[in-house]
Amino acid sequence: MQPEKFYYDNKIVRNFGIATVIWGIIGMLVGLIIAIQLYKPEMNMHNQYTTFGRVRPLHTNAVIFAFVGNAIFMGIYYSLQRLMKARMFSDVLSKIHFWGWQLIIVSAVITLPLGLTTSHEYAELEWPIDILITIVWVVFGINMFGTIIKRRERHIYVAVWFYIATFVTIAVLHIVNSVEIPVSFFKSYMVFAGVQDALVQWWYGHNAVAFFLTTPYLGMMYYFLPKMANRPIYSYKLSILHFWALIFIYIWAGPHHLLYTTLPGWAQSLGVVFSIMLIAPSWGGMINGLLTLRGAWDKVRDDVTLKFMVVGLTAYGMATFEGPMLSLKQVNAIGHFTDWIIAHVHVGALGWNGFLTFAILYWLVPRIYKTELYSKKAASFHFWIGTLGILFYAIPMYWAGFTQGLMLKEFTPEGILKYPSFLETTMRILPMHVMRSVGGALYLTGVIVMAYNLYKTAVQGKLVANEAAEAMPLEKLPPHASTERWHRRLERKPVLFMVASLIVILIGTFIELMPTLTISSNIPTIASVKPYTPLELQGRDLYIREGCVNCHSQTVRPFRSETERYGEYSKAGEFVYDHPFLWGSKRTGPDLQREGGKYGNSWHYNHLMDPRLMSPGSIMPNYDWLITQKLDTTTTGAKIRGMQKLGVPYPAGYDKIANEDLDKQAKGIADNLAKDHIKVKSNKEIVAVIAYLQRLGTDIKAGKTANN
Amino acid sequence: MFRQFTEHISGNQVYLLFSLFIFLVFFIVVTVLLLMQRKQHTDYMSDIPLQDCTEENIKLLKP
Repeated sequence: MQPEKFYYDNKIVRNFGIATVIWGIIGMLVGLIIAIQLYKPEMNMHNQYTTFGRVRPLHTNAVIFAFVGNAIFMGIYYSLQRLMKARMFSDVLSKIHFWGWQLIIVSAVITLPLGLTTSHEYAELEWPIDILITIVWVVFGINMFGTIIKRRERHIYVAVWFYIATFVTIAVLHIVNSVEIPVSFFKSYMVFAGVQDALVQWWYGHNAVAFFLTTPYLGMMYYFLPKMANRPIYSYKLSILHFWALIFIYIWAGPHHLLYTTLPGWAQSLGVVFSIMLIAPSWGGMINGLLTLRGAWDKVRDDVTLKFMVVGLTAYGMATFEGPMLSLKQVNAIGHFTDWIIAHVHVGALGWNGFLTFAILYWLVPRIYKTELYSKKAASFHFWIGTLGILFYAIPMYWAGFTQGLMLKEFTPEGILKYPSFLETTMRILPMHVMRSVGGALYLTGVIVMAYNLYKTAVQGKLVANEAAEAMPLEKLPPHASTERWHRRLERKPVLFMVASLIVILIGTFIELMPTLTISSNIPTIASVKPYTPLELQGRDLYIREGCVNCHSQTVRPFRSETERYGEYSKAGEFVYDHPFLWGSKRTGPDLQREGGKYGNSWHYNHLMDPRLMSPGSIMPNYDWLITQKLDTTTTGAKIRGMQKLGVPYPAGYDKIANEDLDKQAKGIADNLAKDHIKVKSNKEIVAVIAYLQRLGTDIKAGKTANN
Repeated sequence: MFRQFTEHISGNQVYLLFSLFIFLVFFIVVTVLLLMQRKQHTDYMSDIPLQDCTEENIKLLKP
């Protein structure tokens, strides 16, 4: 049998590499701008399209799906071809995948600042873009499985298992978390409400971290680290155990984002237990990576790619130890909603995803351009300034998190809150926020230096777009193959492998989600909780458009420190009409669940116009455009019909007369504001936002009044 | 002890215990399969990334 000659497609790898660097710089720059906005709100340039609430999702989407996403595809397209000893299945599909993914990112860049968002964290993009994501993901899947099927290597290396698990799980997560009813071309309502929506969202959110930020990177680690160190992985058996245990356990851990909320207690406990168990496979992977360098540590001293890999793996180890610790209820009670979580996330993102990406770029670009790296000194500078950047970012954020978390819980000896004003705790941590932006700027500087270094490397070499290779074609299996061990057989059957991975992740999914989604007694209803009025519904959608949920939670946990500060703790039945839920994950400002009736309409008007008028020192941006912009009431009917389809009990035909009720309520608020000498027309957006804010958390009080 | 334990399980806690049981079974099965793997095979698998079949490398390797 003669060896077959074929060519690796390096051009697609190069394209994804360029996209990684460009989007990385943009995503990190946006992150730096919003970090500065948290102590200098005027950095939004008094523009609604660049306020923190609207741009924060742009930062997260840009770094997760644009920077990390393109890096994943770069790494997969390079390593898959070599591990399979085959060119990618289809050049056309590779191109569709590349340009389709960039189109999705550009759509995000346009729609998110416009306020077109579902408000589901890390899944903010509206339904037409969701469909586009599905199509592009399927294209990627066909191309990947096509390559695996036409391979010249019988057995599938562990890196490819991680790629397969990534593909199948992200597909499931994206579809389930995007089940929504469109009410217009760029507006939809989530099918699930309240507690159910929260569970689905954090099952998705946590596993987006698991299967987008972790498993593909572990796959790349298992390929690129042995290549860089020129030695096999420390223990292949450990990598198998790592793979199966990780994908089995990870899928269950989502509820640790919802501790002390109204999610059923058993689901919270399940999330905690599996989060703790997650330490074992995570550290198994980290140790396997670090021990691969056993006996080769001298290489780390000289090779910048290995330096990045070592710090990246260490950051992975730190983040995956801290994650389970944060899921302990006692720790979570302090850390949740604070900057501690921001520090935790960024140790993973900057250290693990960032540094692994940089290592791969430094290793891969000179190879596909058949040249040497332009400047090793510049790469070394990048490593050190990047490491310093992580430290300058993470340490102040940990400090801010501990400080604010503890201040919010502190009582005086007399038994009253020591810091009753939330703002006092915010102002205390502003110096840490300044330090954090310095850390971010250092990190970004390193990335810009890397971009220049890689550009010069590319210029001095020449891209080998089609790299010639040779391998023997796959022979027919020998007769004894049927007696092979079970796992060995699985390693050469990609479709069966995908099905096995799917079954493993679906076990946790079904057991965790189904009881809450299907057993109505898990979500007790409250008679006094009524659907939102049309004006409140429109106000809620403006709240979503402005991204208020990025800074304000709407769930009061059952702690004395929270019930004293905000009011009665949240009940599951209060959220049954909340499509989507708006509990939030970070309190840059106070919780708003019991905001209704706390202040007068004029207070809210003045506060939205200029927060510093009512709360001196506030870091919230002005929302003065709400005063001048007219509320779009042409959508009211469609929104009511959408809600009716989801089971919200508006009377039949109400969609036709909803605007009459809307006008009546709006006039009432405008008249009330006029009494405080505030002249505003009832058709302005601010009236709807005030109506919504004044409704928050009041149903339960109404119920109590009725009972009394 | 086991009886006392089962008597005190309330309603939904069975989901938690059932989940842990499934994982335990799964983990044991994977571990057993792993221990049964031949060293020759794992050595072969772990060497796959180091095999470089680019034409340039093959030329270098030819005598």
